[in-house]
Amino acid sequence: MLRIEAAVLFMIFISFVIQSSIIFPYQTLLMTQLTEETFEKTLHTFIRSDLIDLRGVTFIDPYGMVGLLEIGELCMLEDVKKTVLLPRSNEVLRYLERMEFFAHAKRYFSLDPMQPPGTGSVGESDVLLEITPIERAGDIHTIVGRVRDRAQSILVKHLRYDDRTINGFIVALSEICQNIIEHSENKGFVGIQKYRFQSLGKNIVKIAVMDAGIGFRRSLAARFKLRGDLEAIEKALLHGASRHEDEGRGHGLAAVRRFVTQWQGRLSIRSGTARLSILPKWARGREREMNLAKFPGSQINIILPEVSSN
Amino acid sequence: MLKYDLKNILKEEIGGSTKDLVTRPTGQAVRERIEHDLEKATEGSVIGLDFSKVGVIDYSCADEIAAKLVSRLLSGEYGDRYLLFTGLNENQKENIEVALERKGLAAVAEMQGSKRLLLGSLHNYLKDTLEHVAGEGRVTAKDLADAKKLEANTSGTRLLNLAKKRLVKRVEEVRQDGKVWVYETL
Repeated sequence: MLRIEAAVLFMIFISFVIQSSIIFPYQTLLMTQLTEETFEKTLHTFIRSDLIDLRGVTFIDPYGMVGLLEIGELCMLEDVKKTVLLPRSNEVLRYLERMEFFAHAKRYFSLDPMQPPGTGSVGESDVLLEITPIERAGDIHTIVGRVRDRAQSILVKHLRYDDRTINGFIVALSEICQNIIEHSENKGFVGIQKYRFQSLGKNIVKIAVMDAGIGFRRSLAARFKLRGDLEAIEKALLHGASRHEDEGRGHGLAAVRRFVTQWQGRLSIRSGTARLSILPKWARGREREMNLAKFPGSQINIILPEVSSN
Repeated sequence: MLKYDLKNILKEEIGGSTKDLVTRPTGQAVRERIEHDLEKATEGSVIGLDFSKVGVIDYSCADEIAAKLVSRLLSGEYGDRYLLFTGLNENQKENIEVALERKGLAAVAEMQGSKRLLLGSLHNYLKDTLEHVAGEGRVTAKDLADAKKLEANTSGTRLLNLAKKRLVKRVEEVRQDGKVWVYETL
């Protein structure tokens, strides 16, 4: 009798699990990485859920971190404060601490545990720029100043950049951050980190810049008739289109594209439901993507590899 | 030549320890300060905008400072004055050049190490004329006509066009055979 009851209970439990995974297919997936590659899954999983479960996360990059903060920004606009279950991995927590993620995350989320465990000494840091808010022009001076201060230890040492290339890097960074102030009508975040990219056998620097503002399509809508988000991104990135009529506008993104292409980097811009990527030979992925999950503002990811010695 | 140290102007207008000309509002503040100072400069003077102590100049700042100053100089807003970009490094030169080209403008620049060159866009025949003036230091329409085997009115028109673009100075000189216009490098 007891066995039959146990079997019935087990069947009910299994049925519940199956139903849950059909109704909420993404909620049952365990997030182990937060990067650009997993961003669509991140959106599906976390936008609908009250709980953002990062306990299984073993790798997170600036795009993942800044993306999470922008989800928080969006939730805050809707007066929602979600709970984030922090990663169990000490290494990931240490990295989040180094990137000053918690300082910003506390504004948007209830963190669990409330006080992240102590992370201990760090040694040499791979952080080129901690997560930094972009709200006004003065923030860009701060960003440029910090990157310049650390250029020697990251850009020269690990990417083998010379002075001229560092200056190009700083100009590209400045332009991409200004894009938020001039076009998003909202605040944004930027973060930069150096990694070792095993499959390439090279060091790389990852730059993530995001906002939850009006996005490319709405920004350009007053001047151009656009069919969709992809066309809006193309107009801005490939044709130097700007919401302003002045001929002196619209250099910024084109300059960023030139710099990234010159140094065999990868650039992707996601806005609304589309993403456009400039892919070097070493990178995987699709150049044009549409019908993605709708997310406001713009999400920009740049990967710059170490300069070859030959 | 009167020199404006852009690092100093940046410090006075923006504050802090920044040495980089980045963002449009920064460029606007620096340009407005230069415009204010230009009013005090005597007519006919050449003003060197000294970039030698500045870090980078981004495209927004290059547009606000270089392109807008040159554009307004050509429209006569600053009177009979001339601008020269001095102490440039390669990065600064490239970004200012892009800003000028986008608006079809041109300016004379002096690189770190004193090498002078033209930035922006200019017809080839005017570039050639400018190079000739730079080589000679000062020329008249007759000098140019003789050197380049041109009609006198053609050489005069070319030199006048350069003067209108504020790329050379045009000064009146009294000689034995009367008054002549002499065109000089900035």
